[in-house]
Parts: sequence; C-alpha cells; structure tokens
Amino acid sequence: MNTREDEKWQGLLLRSTSTFAGEDAPPYGFITGTLAQLRAESRQQNEFERIGWRALLTSLAALVIAAMVTLSVDFSDQSGDFEPGTKSVVQLENIQVS
Amino acid sequence: MDEAIDVNACLRRWKEGDEAAAEELIRHLFPVISKIVRTHLPRRDDEKDLVQEILMKTFAKLHQFKGDAPITHWVSRLALTTCLDRLRAQKIRPEVRRADLTPDESDVFDAAWLTGSSPDASEAIAARDVVDKILASLSPEDRSLILMVDLEGRSLQEISEATGWSISKIKMRLFRVRPQLRQMIRKLEERN
Repeated sequence: MNTREDEKWQGLLLRSTSTFAGEDAPPYGFITGTLAQLRAESRQQNEFERIGWRALLTSLAALVIAAMVTLSVDFSDQSGDFEPGTKSVVQLENIQVS
Repeated sequence: MDEAIDVNACLRRWKEGDEAAAEELIRHLFPVISKIVRTHLPRRDDEKDLVQEILMKTFAKLHQFKGDAPITHWVSRLALTTCLDRLRAQKIRPEVRRADLTPDESDVFDAAWLTGSSPDASEAIAARDVVDKILASLSPEDRSLILMVDLEGRSLQEISEATGWSISKIKMRLFRVRPQLRQMIRKLEERN
C-alpha cells in the first residue's frame, strides 16, 4: 500500500529522473586520457615482469655458484695431505689424547 | 547477443596491441558505465575519474571474461561493485534534516507529488540533491537497492543477477529499508 511518504519519494525520483541519465558518448579528451593511462599501466606491468625475470635469474645464478663452492670444498676435504686412512695430525703422530 | 560490436574480435586485437580495438571497447562500454556511476553515486562525486577507474579495472581483468554473457553485464557488475566500494569509503552517513535543505531543495520537496508538472533543469537538479541527501543516510547497499527498484524498476531476479545477492537477502533488505525511508521523509516534512 502506498503511503503519503512513498508518493512523496516517487515524486522526488520522477522530478530528478533526467539527472540519472548517463552520457552516450565520452567527453572530449576522455578516450585519449584513458588510452594514455592504459599504455602507462601496460608499460609498468612489462617493467615489473622484466625486473621479476632478472631477479629470478640472479637468484638461480647465486644458487648455482653456492652449490659449486659447497661441492668443491667438500671435494678438497676428501683429498687431504694425509696418507689414505689417516684423517688428522693426532692420528698421524699417534698422540695420546686423554 | 546484444553486442553492437564484435567484442571477441576487439579483445583479440587489443591483446595483440591494437589501440583502435581498445578505443572501440571504451566507446562501447562508456554509456553503460556512465549510467551506473550517475545512478549509484551522489551527483557531485567525480564521475569522469570513476568511469575511467572502472574502465582500467575492466581492461586489467579482461582475461577473466569468459564470454558466456554479454560483456556489458560483466562490466555492469564491476561498475556497481566499484561504486559501492566508493560509497563505503565515504563512511559518514548523516541523517538529513529540513534545515539541511537549501531554499530551492525545500521548494522542490514540498512540490514533489506524482501529479506535478514536468520540472525544468534546475528543479531536476534540486530534486536530485534532495534524493542524494535522503539516500546518504542509508548504507551503500540499501541506497543502490532502492534506486534499482524505485528508479529503474528492476525485478528481484534482475537485481540478484546484477549484485550477486540472493532473492531472500534482497527482500529482507527492502523490508528493512522501506520504513527507514518513510521515516526520513516524515522528518523532512516537519518544519521544526
């Protein structure tokens, strides 16, 4: 059921209807501005992707170098100056360790 | 499909870097977005910037568009969500009093009956400002719902599709907000 307030509300909407209508075409300069912004965002995204790839490759290179250093140190540990079967000076000189 | 342009071809061309395709899409979507922004936001909010913001979001999310419904439906929902976010960010919801109306708004309010003559531009703007002031005290969702029902005459089903809300949620909101609206108009009718 329509109350007096509902009628007043409908009246207000009816009187203001024209102000709710959207525009059919963009205003002057709108398309140029939007395309420029799209270009800028696209450039920024490409830049981020480029930085991301570079960071990934740098991390991979660092990982490979670290792995190589670890392996070479390990290898040099295995080929020491002692006779085969002797691992330290203590063992070589037969020092008594209490 | 109600598309006036070949949206799929436009999307393909845009992905290949064709700016003319982007321009076609902008021209096609502009009226839809402009209508939603003008309806769901108060008159003085910077409409042009918001339309541009919605278009930027549209292009950023184009890869999510599946093409099983017209692109205008998809963009309408995105536009409505963005408008609601903007309204939520404003937060302050003052309750309008008669003293808050300008003399022009006050005259329009008193004369606002269904049988009234068709208004001129300044009366229409004054009426719109009164409508905005009344709606400003509602939550963003209630505000948009009232406009979809009372101004656009949309069905519950259409509102559900546009917002993603269930029919029962819409009914509940309407049931709750209608007395609030009446109460505000009653208060405005009181001249202290």
